Amino acid sequence: MTDEFPFEISPMFEGERVRKDDMYLELAGPKSKGFELVRASEMDEIEDGKFTLIGPDISDANEGDRLPLAMIYRIAGELVETDLEAIVERRNHDFQNYIQGLMHLNQRYDVWLRINKDAITKGLNSFEQIARATMMLFKNEMSFIEKIEATYITDMDKVQEALDEAMSVYAARDERTRNLHDEDVDVFYGCTLCQSFAPTSVCVITPDRIALCGAINWFDGRAAAKVDPEGPQFAIEKGECLDEIGGEYTGVNEKAVALSGGEYQRIKIHSFFEFPHTSCGCFEVVGFYIPELDGIGWVDRDYAEMAPNGLPFSTMAGQTGGGKQVMGFLGVGINYFRSPKFIQSDGGWDRVVWMPKNLKDKIMNDIPEDIVDKVATEEDAKDLDTLKAFLIDKGHPIVEKWVPEEEEEPEMEAASVPMPTMSMPAFDPAMMQNMAAMGGGGGIKVTLKNAKVTIDRIVLSSKK
Amino acid sequence: MKVVAITGKGGTGKTAVAAMLIRKLVSKDKTILAIDADPDSNLPEVLGDEVEQTVGDQREFLMTQRDNLPPDTDKSRVLESKIYSVLSEQTGYDLLVMGRPEGKGCYCFANNLLRGIMDRIIKNYDLTIVDTAAGMEHLSRGIIQDVNELIVVTDGSKRGLHTAQRIRELVNELDLNIEKMHVVLNKVTPQNSERLQEYAGELGLDLAGVIPFDETIAQFDLEGRPLKELPSTSPAIIEIENIIIQLGL
Repeated sequence: MTDEFPFEISPMFEGERVRKDDMYLELAGPKSKGFELVRASEMDEIEDGKFTLIGPDISDANEGDRLPLAMIYRIAGELVETDLEAIVERRNHDFQNYIQGLMHLNQRYDVWLRINKDAITKGLNSFEQIARATMMLFKNEMSFIEKIEATYITDMDKVQEALDEAMSVYAARDERTRNLHDEDVDVFYGCTLCQSFAPTSVCVITPDRIALCGAINWFDGRAAAKVDPEGPQFAIEKGECLDEIGGEYTGVNEKAVALSGGEYQRIKIHSFFEFPHTSCGCFEVVGFYIPELDGIGWVDRDYAEMAPNGLPFSTMAGQTGGGKQVMGFLGVGINYFRSPKFIQSDGGWDRVVWMPKNLKDKIMNDIPEDIVDKVATEEDAKDLDTLKAFLIDKGHPIVEKWVPEEEEEPEMEAASVPMPTMSMPAFDPAMMQNMAAMGGGGGIKVTLKNAKVTIDRIVLSSKK
Repeated sequence: MKVVAITGKGGTGKTAVAAMLIRKLVSKDKTILAIDADPDSNLPEVLGDEVEQTVGDQREFLMTQRDNLPPDTDKSRVLESKIYSVLSEQTGYDLLVMGRPEGKGCYCFANNLLRGIMDRIIKNYDLTIVDTAAGMEHLSRGIIQDVNELIVVTDGSKRGLHTAQRIRELVNELDLNIEKMHVVLNKVTPQNSERLQEYAGELGLDLAGVIPFDETIAQFDLEGRPLKELPSTSPAIIEIENIIIQLGL
């Protein structure tokens, strides 16, 4: 099949590194320029198999030279559409690494290639050979590509010109990618990296929810699961949607049972109070419910002081971590604040009352405009009284939800915290203290399992 | 493809042994990857190479920039390319410095990517020589996963040999994937040679070499000259040759 090429083509050459000692030619990379780009075109615009080179060829170069390199592929076919461009483009890396003696690193405008001396000795002397082999692999492995042509550019000015154009294509593509949401995909991803210390942790990564550690987004999950489906990141079939707002899916629930060893049966991906996502311990930010204000505060790992509830990140993290669904607390990755589904089950941003200034600054542009000034930081409030005054002063939407008569207030709280459906963390004196500190409720721990409780009215008042 | 890790108590000369091994193996036309995995050591300096950036720096880049990269970026490819860019390419060997330890936050994912990348890189060399601190952090985290030969370098002290013994216990405790463990006695004088070899025998440590105290090395160290320039006639280099033969490197 590959007799026409002076090199062997096989996946076994993936990972083959061309060392400087063995290198004949370096292309693009950190010391030069280059990019790879795939564009979808109409069938009649493409001459199948055509190759164009703009600039010097391999045979024009000397040993040890470095050239810029742009690789532009135009593809066409009945099923070819713009959305496929990125998927096809990503394979250029794989296919070029199949070529013996050619090393391809990175992607897009960061590509970096090297050709080793052996390949030259065996007869590689033109980019056309590389382009033809790559195009052949594209067509063999992706049958929806009916026609393909390639243009390689090795002239610096021309590369720069083409790169400027390519950048706008990448930008438009990123914009589309950012608009990918939970409802657009059939598969979420799970991760078990944290299970070594949080054995019941169920980490679900969706387009609208980054992993708690902040390191793994849906695309990372997809990339990792593809390389090693049995590895720490794997696919979770969404299944049927049970709660669109809360983000509950049959596939996720089934996986939750399996991953938590039966501890958890239900997870709502975008809920704070009801069947929340488990919190592993790696989370970048922890959210805490403030019963007195019916709002949620958030504190990140870098904030060393006490949050307005009187607890520092470390204490809350200690209580929340361990891979459990913990009432009143939730660990998240910073990028989750940018999600349009951010705790949408519980009012989203309208429920957020406090976060450290550094954290707020980081995500400033992604906070809805109408609420951004109404979320307090430590510069506005360090305790609940000043926070309450701040929220009233700024007209935070949560204020409207407060019922003026004190005796009716608890009723609303009882409704918003569905205690019977959740198990509380195991007995922990620190947790008791914490409950006392946040709720003023004293050292009582209530666990209700499979309970049905009907209450007409509860009056709670603090010790006078 | 073989991985040799060199460890030992600080000051025993493990980095010097690593550098001499590299020098000798390069002269035998082996392609070597040298990894400095001891934040406290100075393998680049001893080899006479300059390294500006480290693997730790690149991992940190990924940690801080991850939300600014295009959403569907393959982070493994980015990190791989970044690491290749800090690989210092010398004649006959490449040098990689692991550098700064982890900062705050969860490094599970970044380390998991790094594990795969290191695995792929190491496969490209005949031999990988890792200079690691006695705590063997990168081995215990599995960043460097499979080690064929672990060499514990110790000086002319009973304490050094006890460190070797503790390292052996650590290897068992951490359940590290290490095929064989050896001890190399370094800076040995005619006065302590016999006693030290006896001690090693008593502790049940496999003795792979006895490197004599070498005036030339002391002189090189004093002048800050890289050890890869040591003459082949230096007694230490001669013993290094024996170690290479004994370990079948």
